[in-house]
Amino acid sequence: MTAALAIDDLLPSPAPRQAVLARLVGVAKTYGSGENAVAALSEATLDIRAGEVTLIEGPSGSGKTTLISILGLVLTATAGEVWLEGRNVAGLGERDLPGLRARNFGFVFQGFNLFPALSALENVAIAIRMKNPRARDAEGEARRLLEQVGLGAKMRQLPGDLSGGQKQRVAIARALGGNPPILIGDEPTAALDTRTALSVMELLRQLADTEGRAVVVVTHDPRLERFADRVVRVEDGFIQAITSPAPGAGASGAFATVRESRSSL
Amino acid sequence: MWNLARKLLLHDRLRFAVAIAGVSVSVMLVLVQVGLYFGFMDTASSIIDASKADIWVGKKSNESFEFATPFDERAFYRVSSVPGVAYAERVVMNFAQFKLADGGDLGVQIVGVETAAGHAPLLAPWNVIAGDARRLAEPGAIVLDRTEYAKLKIDRVGHITEIAGVRAEVVALTRGIRSFTTSPIIFTDVRTARSYLPQLGSGEPVTYVLVKVAPGADVAAVQARIDALPHLAAYTTAQMSERTRTYWSTRTGVGASFFTTAVLGILVGLVVVGQILYSGTLQYIREYGTLKAMGAKNSAVVKVILSQAMISAALGFAVGAPLAMAMRIAMKGANLTVALFPALYAGTAVITAAMCAFAALLSIVKVLRLDPASVFKT
Repeated sequence: MTAALAIDDLLPSPAPRQAVLARLVGVAKTYGSGENAVAALSEATLDIRAGEVTLIEGPSGSGKTTLISILGLVLTATAGEVWLEGRNVAGLGERDLPGLRARNFGFVFQGFNLFPALSALENVAIAIRMKNPRARDAEGEARRLLEQVGLGAKMRQLPGDLSGGQKQRVAIARALGGNPPILIGDEPTAALDTRTALSVMELLRQLADTEGRAVVVVTHDPRLERFADRVVRVEDGFIQAITSPAPGAGASGAFATVRESRSSL
Repeated sequence: MWNLARKLLLHDRLRFAVAIAGVSVSVMLVLVQVGLYFGFMDTASSIIDASKADIWVGKKSNESFEFATPFDERAFYRVSSVPGVAYAERVVMNFAQFKLADGGDLGVQIVGVETAAGHAPLLAPWNVIAGDARRLAEPGAIVLDRTEYAKLKIDRVGHITEIAGVRAEVVALTRGIRSFTTSPIIFTDVRTARSYLPQLGSGEPVTYVLVKVAPGADVAAVQARIDALPHLAAYTTAQMSERTRTYWSTRTGVGASFFTTAVLGILVGLVVVGQILYSGTLQYIREYGTLKAMGAKNSAVVKVILSQAMISAALGFAVGAPLAMAMRIAMKGANLTVALFPALYAGTAVITAAMCAFAALLSIVKVLRLDPASVFKT
């Protein structure tokens, strides 16, 4: 299967639209061993493409979080391949992974995870500096990112003084620090009201459209499907289906199945 | 990193205040206890350290400087005739009863020194602040320390009293000469000292012989020659000082007592700072995990925690050191010397930094073991 991959199109950012930025091939994750072994994810194969918004859906405990954790290189797969920057990085250790994560991924979480003692600007700047201690103008970049997510007027505010939607925008700005080509959201809209959730999702969609970033979002919320290029359905640890909303599909729009994870790429 | 560390610490001001209080108390305890120890030790060897002798000679059986056994004056002449000795002086020391103005008695430490020598004396009262110490050669003349006024119920130079029933007149005052035994030190001439110390015997008792080595002579060689004399032990002044300090420090448990309290101070600081840093780390564990997930290296996160520890150490020292200075002033009123000196400050600063860094260890282990995947799980 590996030999069949077009490795040349695993490109770093900025990548041409539709270029494959990351690829999971036959990835599995098993917790425990022997009789106590629990398979959290099996045979997961998935491409992450520049400029695409991918939703990962499925019931609780289905393996969604395991899937994005392996994709984001914060969890090691038990089996399979994770292709990034033109190579299989599945076997790399903790010595190499932080650099890969810093270059390739930004994360957005349901709980925002912002330092309450730091202003919005400082939260974004510190992440930039932590990712790259040699970053020259972390504060300038943080300011630009906050303006990009519509928080130019709030950058001196502490997280406690911001609404949920504003906090999530700060978290998105933080995730964009260092200019990673892939944004991964772990239920980033779950703690937000509908209107705010849709506006946050709209922002992520814009980032995919205007900057060519790949956006991968785990969600339980089917209303977000209208922002997606693809919806990956995960159940019982397997990718059951990868579908694409029909053009003009709304929250409950029709979908066309493009491929199954177990079919060859 | 410093900015993040500072803001994280200051975000919970009460907790930060507790941390600084913990470090400050720790710093103060270390400085005061170790300072008291050095103060006591300085006091214990002050007479030896103030002497201009190269070698101190005493009875071989002596263990303590203050409670030395006297020997016959003939030994003084034997020492004086050892090759390499330029000249020698006698010291007569022991305890006597000082008659107080109210009729009571107080134990004092008599230090009889040579006053008639034709050269600069090897031991004489120093830090003289009033009166005329040259009158010490007169029979019954004594010099004592100003800080002992209250204890001896004296209020002026010229005060006349009795020591062991023999006349004594205060002819001069010194400042800062105190005994480790807390008995006031009374300087007098050797002959007068013998009259105050009848318990030493009716002969010509001598407690120590102070030796000035001839120019060009080897001190160690002269010391060895004297040491070979029967019943006598010879020490260089530095050795004698160290021996006296060691005696009081180890044989009385004074050293252990002071250092135990100092160590307890460090432990208090360690526990307080460790607890504060650890709870702070737990509070921000998801944020640290997020940074790690986004590619922050362990070293970067550890730097934040170590920076917090160093900020706590610096501020704790900045508060604790002046507190120790204030304690020094307060304790001076109680005739206690807290010896605070640059090396002690520097050493305590290093200990404080090490203590806070060690206190951060649990937090550091916590973030090192922090699995960035954990931030995805809830």
